[in-house]
Amino acid sequence: MSSLQALQDLVHEKYGIEASALDPNESMREKGFDSLALVEFIFAVEDHFSIRLPDDDPNLDTLAQLAALVDKTLAAKAAQPAKAGDAVPVVPPVEIQQTVHPAPSAPSA
Amino acid sequence: MNGVVVTGLGVVTPHGDDPEAMFAALMRGESAIKPVFPELPKPAAAATAPFNELRWFTKLQLAGVDRVSQLAVAAASLAMKDAGDLGDVDPERIGVFAGCGMGGAASLETAYRGGPRVPPLTVPAFMPNAPASHVALRHGVNGPVLTYSVACASSSVAIAEAAKAVQAGDVDLAIAGGSEALIVPGVVLAWQAMQTLASVAAPDEAARSVRPFAADRSGFALGEGAGFLILESAERARRRGARSYAALSGWGLSCDATHLTKPDAPGQARALRAALRRAGLQPRDIGYCNAHGTATRIGDPVEREALASVWGDAIGELRVSSTKALHGHLLGAAGALEAVITVLALHHRQMPPNAHCESVDPACQMNLVLQAGERAGALEAAISNSFAFGGTNSVLLFQRG
Repeated sequence: MSSLQALQDLVHEKYGIEASALDPNESMREKGFDSLALVEFIFAVEDHFSIRLPDDDPNLDTLAQLAALVDKTLAAKAAQPAKAGDAVPVVPPVEIQQTVHPAPSAPSA
Repeated sequence: MNGVVVTGLGVVTPHGDDPEAMFAALMRGESAIKPVFPELPKPAAAATAPFNELRWFTKLQLAGVDRVSQLAVAAASLAMKDAGDLGDVDPERIGVFAGCGMGGAASLETAYRGGPRVPPLTVPAFMPNAPASHVALRHGVNGPVLTYSVACASSSVAIAEAAKAVQAGDVDLAIAGGSEALIVPGVVLAWQAMQTLASVAAPDEAARSVRPFAADRSGFALGEGAGFLILESAERARRRGARSYAALSGWGLSCDATHLTKPDAPGQARALRAALRRAGLQPRDIGYCNAHGTATRIGDPVEREALASVWGDAIGELRVSSTKALHGHLLGAAGALEAVITVLALHHRQMPPNAHCESVDPACQMNLVLQAGERAGALEAAISNSFAFGGTNSVLLFQRG
């Protein structure tokens, strides 16, 4: 089943935009979703479906494309053999870049 | 030399977003300070601004826009509208000069406490220059878009820097002011720990909890809001037939360089003298001072000492009030809001009261405006003081005309 309807509901809930006002094959950017708004929306989509979308398509621009990506990700998740306690992490792994702050030593001046 | 005039005012304040209605409420001595966050261990009070962000943004536009930027866009847009038909102006010749002390406090707080995931736009939401940038985006400003983060003097400094840019001919039009929105539990706790907030023993005492220059004062309450002024040269304003609220004829900046948080009268006096010098006025020419007056034990007598040292024998002629008793301390936006109040005091020749001061501290003895509704028929010039943590002092001097 396509996730398109759920995405349209989410757009309506978050931004007050009716499904009829956003053609699934129309550019979302042209409808006011700039790159920042789109990043925020994708976060909401991930939370809604408890998935992590691959961020390998920077040209993602229509709701239909996003729905296809969500469907693919959901299908991949369903195909995985379920292990006990193998829930999709809600919190994504964060790569922390270690910045080394040298301990204060004797004043250098 | 080019005179600089104020041709537009816009505010979002605890007393609403209509400058005239706000000023009228202050003249009546109405306090907007209320109890906040009853869940905190120590009772707290603050002045929050009634505000509907959907009047200014669609839900889609709100992605990554903190309240501090929302308030700035609203106040700056109201100021632009108030300035009327601006005529032909090259976007490269418009500047935004915005003060902000902290940036997007609510976004930072949400990132830490809000939920399992940090919202992806937290960084652009909380960066302190976001308000200025959002004002520029909204009004298509291509000239200098600058942010001044100088604690409690931020927006006063921003207005002084804007006036300099107009006077020097660097810009034709300046959108100058500032915004602050940090009424969130973490920030309130931090200010409580700093021991500068007024004590609020019971919720019904909140409204009268800030008592500048009073013997029983105990500190300030935080406030939120934004204020912007449209500045342009007197010549340009005349040419386009604009209404001028007042001339911004003097400004003075100084730094104490004595202590990070403890104010210093000689440092404040240097800023006061610099503002008078730039305007070519004598102390007795100034009829009203909107004081910094944070109602802290240490701060108020130091401000009195600074004013007395510059005014000398004329100190009795200077009427003084701190309106923070009514709208709270807007920190980075305080200078802008109080500049708007000072301009309206001149424009209407009325002085808002120094509220809740039943018994003046002898160390703060001045000609305070103790009654609500005082008129000032001969008022020609007024100053607004902003003295910051970090030691920076900023004084703006306005004249009728």
